[in-house]
Amino acid sequence: MAALSTSMPVAPAETPLPRAPATSEPSEPTPSSATSPVVLDVRDLKTYFFTYDGVVLALDGVSFKVRRGETLGLVGETGCGKSVTAFSVVRLIPDPPGRIISGKVLFRGIDLLWGLSSEARIKTDPKTGRARIRRSFRRIKTGLERMSAVRGRGISMIFQEPTQAMNPVFSVADQISEALLLHQGIPIVDDLLGATPDAPEVLPALEALVEESRRGNTDALREASRRVGEAAHLRTFGTQAYYLAREAEPDSEDLMRRLNKARHRLHLSGLERVYLRHRRRRMEVEDAFHDVYLSEMREGRIDRHNRRILRARRGRLRLSGFYYGIWGIRGRVQRPLKDETFWRTVNRLEEVSIANPVQVARGYPHELSGGMLQRVMITMALAVDPVILIADEPTTALDVTIQAQILELMRGLKTRIGTAILLITHDLAVIAEVADRVCVMYAGQIVETARARDLYAHPLHPYTQGLLASIPNLERPDKRLSSIPGSVPDLIHPPKGCRFHPRCSYAMPICTEVRPPTTVEGSEHTVACHLYKGPTAVE
Amino acid sequence: MEGAIAPMMASTDSNLPLITSFNLRKYFPIRGGLFSSRIGDVRAVDGVSLDVRESETVGLVGESGCGKTTVGRLLLRLIEPTSGHTYYHPSPDVLARLESLYDTLKSSTGADGNGAAATPEAAAALKELDEIADQYSLYRLKHSKMKELRGKLQIVFQDPFSSLSPRMLVRDIIGEPLAIHHAGSRSERAMRVAELVQQVGLNPEHLWRFPHEFSGGQRQRIGIARALALRPEFIVLDEPTSALDVSVQAQILNILKKLQAEQRLSYLFISHHLSVVRAMSHKVAVMYLGQIVERAATEDLFSRPLHPYTQALLSAIPIPDPSLKRERIVLKGDVPSPAAPPAGCRFHTRCPAVMPVCSHAEPPLIEVRKAHWVACHLYPPSGGVPVPNPAGPLGSVGENGVTNVGALPAA
Repeated sequence: MAALSTSMPVAPAETPLPRAPATSEPSEPTPSSATSPVVLDVRDLKTYFFTYDGVVLALDGVSFKVRRGETLGLVGETGCGKSVTAFSVVRLIPDPPGRIISGKVLFRGIDLLWGLSSEARIKTDPKTGRARIRRSFRRIKTGLERMSAVRGRGISMIFQEPTQAMNPVFSVADQISEALLLHQGIPIVDDLLGATPDAPEVLPALEALVEESRRGNTDALREASRRVGEAAHLRTFGTQAYYLAREAEPDSEDLMRRLNKARHRLHLSGLERVYLRHRRRRMEVEDAFHDVYLSEMREGRIDRHNRRILRARRGRLRLSGFYYGIWGIRGRVQRPLKDETFWRTVNRLEEVSIANPVQVARGYPHELSGGMLQRVMITMALAVDPVILIADEPTTALDVTIQAQILELMRGLKTRIGTAILLITHDLAVIAEVADRVCVMYAGQIVETARARDLYAHPLHPYTQGLLASIPNLERPDKRLSSIPGSVPDLIHPPKGCRFHPRCSYAMPICTEVRPPTTVEGSEHTVACHLYKGPTAVE
Repeated sequence: MEGAIAPMMASTDSNLPLITSFNLRKYFPIRGGLFSSRIGDVRAVDGVSLDVRESETVGLVGESGCGKTTVGRLLLRLIEPTSGHTYYHPSPDVLARLESLYDTLKSSTGADGNGAAATPEAAAALKELDEIADQYSLYRLKHSKMKELRGKLQIVFQDPFSSLSPRMLVRDIIGEPLAIHHAGSRSERAMRVAELVQQVGLNPEHLWRFPHEFSGGQRQRIGIARALALRPEFIVLDEPTSALDVSVQAQILNILKKLQAEQRLSYLFISHHLSVVRAMSHKVAVMYLGQIVERAATEDLFSRPLHPYTQALLSAIPIPDPSLKRERIVLKGDVPSPAAPPAGCRFHTRCPAVMPVCSHAEPPLIEVRKAHWVACHLYPPSGGVPVPNPAGPLGSVGENGVTNVGALPAA
């Protein structure tokens, strides 16, 4: 049990990167060189949607890798399966109608899709030719429960429409706090329990802060408030003091009074203390559950023994803590935790360069503009320092100037936190700005993967070439735009062989019959097209 | 097409504007409080003058909420303006008179043709403007005359998924304008519809389908065919490709260009996508919060943008080439609310080159180079030659179009 109560362990043995056979040394080092470990490895992923019209083959054998600290762009037209890929990785595919049929999603060597085959059985009716699925909802539930160990801390997501992804009835701070408490609850509780509002150095620090606020130098004020936080052994108290000092009128006497009031609020009553300890024990159990889930996925068998122990422990804690569920008591005991997460939220919002984080944190989603909400979404996704961030069309709903702000922000965060980003978009220009490597998708398959520079300089697949040629170029506006004839095929009855052949100008007889294998054409450049005869890529 | 419009239709000189508007304003009321009284205005369009010549495309760019679409709708009289006038095919003498009258107004009072006149000559000018407007303005035409004109003024809407009735066959959708205007017999109309369908690259078999059976690109083609049905002269293209994928977008843009070459169409191309506007337009007007801040020929605007907003907008466009890294101006903050626009220059809250004068005086739109109009205090009206303020953070405007205004280094 002692081992179980520790928080999430460091990554298990990370798989060494299999090098492609024909790779020459890269001409110039990129920030994510081929040696950094693979954090996400998707292999031959198949996701189908079972509809009344037939089975939609939304993803049909998608494979790609994301390395640590790298931005992988996933680009393609509407309906090519970009978002389905993202949702499959975190298992958010609405089921029914969708099902992941086969494949592997390895997150640091852990197979997230383990146990998938036992969750449902697919039978084809011999008379009608219709696919029928028998789902075992109990197993699906355990499978989704297991994913909770990975979602958030492991893989986090930014959704396309910031206005629709937020809950309209909770304030921004409430929604970010939820994520913070869920994933960083134990350190938050520890900080609260360890705060020392009565330490002898707090009062001098507060007086220094008041002095600084009279002078009005922002940097010095920030430094002074940081020292207040250090003195009280609670970083957020510094943040709180900073904003109190900023809101205060210059030369006002009541700043000190307000600061002292805030300081007194840090005193925990006996009941609050007991509650926090209880809450901490519950979080420990949840963390232990996550560890069990992770080890289950790693080892490929259900750990019934530990599950049973933990379930019993969770039940006991629920029983012994029934008192805190009583309305009236709950609000009082949770106040310190709420305050703490609010100011932590403010800290996080500062990091995404929001000018007035306190007002934004108090605000509700409808009060914020699209660009601001997208920042909040990014804050929420990054609040827990995820290993992988999946950004599903993060700038599509935004204006160009706001898009530039968000892209700038994401680039900065990538270098600072070192999160791997899977960026999904239909805009090749956005990909060119941010991504290190690019996968081009067409009709549920990846047709070309290359480093961004290679892809834009030497696109190999006819579809990629067509896509690049159809972007209006700012530098050469007079050129007639070339376009790809036709439109994206129906994925219920996709074309046989290469799915692009009906629209391809290089189509050969073989293209209508055989699905092209993915071949290696140069360093880190793979393509699935019969025009190229390089060595077959190792998936 | 008789009566008041007839003399104006006579001119075919391509140097004359096909459609010209002066000081268009559209305020949408905000209602609230007791008895839903008017408690404020959303100034969607606030003093926009624009002209479009024959077989010319004018691009209108700006961020969402800046009033682009409202301008497009005003030009077609789909909504009535709060003030201002639009003239369709003005004859040369009327146009010359109008311009001189507006100049008089501007020079004598600083009023722009909407406010009360201070001097007697301004009052006289206002009176005469009113008389001309009574005779020729699009907004003072009788209903029957306006209906005749609607065939010449058409629009293609942004969202091809909501602009086509789901209950009508494609044949009926395209043929509806013909039916409303009683253009030809039933069989003639059917032939015209078949011809239109071919022009926009659809097959005749598509005529017997419903809109939901088509992809976005095909629906937009149907929308274009509908707009072309009555052989218009002027089409407002309201973000025609923003709902489409790039490969399909290129198809639609090519069709639009082909049609313009064949039928001498004039377009007002509304878009927030600058690369598309550059590919399509001859002239570009940049809008910010209901006002035009810069107007120039496309080449001129893209190679030497003058207004800081245009510069920021241009530098914000992502380039589909990772080997090109450039200095980038990232604007701070959001677009202010058009219900309470900032005083003075409306861009001053986000401008990297802001000066003290910007926060209280509104810069007029002046011609700083030939056919290059800009509304910014950095370019004083007396100077003639544009000299960027050396004291401000606005550096020299580079020849290659990439400027170094308060540039943030690209990470």
